[in-house]
Amino acid sequence: MAMAALRREGRRFVPLISPQPISAVQSSLISQEQAPLGVRSISTQIVRNRMKSVKNIQKITKAMKMVAASKLRAIQIKAENSRGIWQPFTALLGDNPSVDVKKNVIITVSSDKGLCGGINSTSVKMSKALHKLTSGPEKQSTYVILGEKAKAQLIRDSKNNIELCITELQRNPLNYTQVSVLADDILKNVEYDALRIVFNKFHSVVSFPPTVATVLSPETVERESESGGNLGELDSYEIEGGETKGEILQNLAEFQFSCVMFNAVLENACSEQGARMSAMDSSSRNAGEMLDRLTLTYNRTRQASITTELIEIISGASALKG
Amino acid sequence: MASSTAAVPFWRAAGMTYITYSNICANLVRNCLKEPHKTEALTREKVHFSLSKWADGKPQKPTLRSDTPED
Repeated sequence: MAMAALRREGRRFVPLISPQPISAVQSSLISQEQAPLGVRSISTQIVRNRMKSVKNIQKITKAMKMVAASKLRAIQIKAENSRGIWQPFTALLGDNPSVDVKKNVIITVSSDKGLCGGINSTSVKMSKALHKLTSGPEKQSTYVILGEKAKAQLIRDSKNNIELCITELQRNPLNYTQVSVLADDILKNVEYDALRIVFNKFHSVVSFPPTVATVLSPETVERESESGGNLGELDSYEIEGGETKGEILQNLAEFQFSCVMFNAVLENACSEQGARMSAMDSSSRNAGEMLDRLTLTYNRTRQASITTELIEIISGASALKG
Repeated sequence: MASSTAAVPFWRAAGMTYITYSNICANLVRNCLKEPHKTEALTREKVHFSLSKWADGKPQKPTLRSDTPED
């Protein structure tokens, strides 16, 4: 049954490729002997299947875009609100990306899931550049990684510098308690003079530049403030109660770190959704274009075979008449 | 104010960081809320992540920090 169908298909396309005149006997022979299965004609079956799969993929990417858009809206509000809790710290302690210390810890924030454009690789690239910048003789620079994707990229060439890996962060909606527990765990497990947090700061759906936030250890802050510079103004603040400056600074540094982490994680999650949205948008557009091209090819092939058939019938009829 | 400043050395001595201390305080405040805000606030602050330490370029067994039971 299948063979018969194939023969029929084959005969339909014979005039297109074989120069010799055809008869019924020859065509059935040709389809079996000269051409391997399915080669003689552009099988419309394959194109049809392809079109179906492209259509399905387009449906999926469209749905993913919708999901990302709705998640983005919720998380964008959170991220924008969270900016208010680190800004006072930057006003007080300043952001010192250029500070030169012995023990650097680079915290790379990335996502657990893929399909979100280049945000993870940009933050990984940024971290690697920072690593190069901060490592040297007598200096130490290690990674703390948040998220599955940065881990996969950093394992390849800097696995000896990885100190901690944290994943499954976004199982529940992000909240401060979670991030602060996480920040606490990081603080307990690493020794640092400066923590450098690399994340994608959310500016708009299409713009999320990789950003570095620096948190200094209390000792470094004290040293910097004594040597003047940006942190010199810290001495003009009055300290209440019976605490020493060192204690206050330690509390402040810890709290600053958890706040900056909270903001970084939220900003990065927000950028992730934004990037996913635009990535899915462009891939559903690509699928649409592909579908258009395939439809054109499909219709053209179909038309060609119909035309050939008509020619065959007409010429056969006229041969009988003549 | 005076009592909280006096408490500082004690929680430090117990091995807590300021973050842990402030989290405990925040949780106490959340527990003081009236229903339905209380459950809402408590369900919002869920902790879940898995953390693995690395030694010699190899990951060690990850530990799961979670207050929701595995399903």
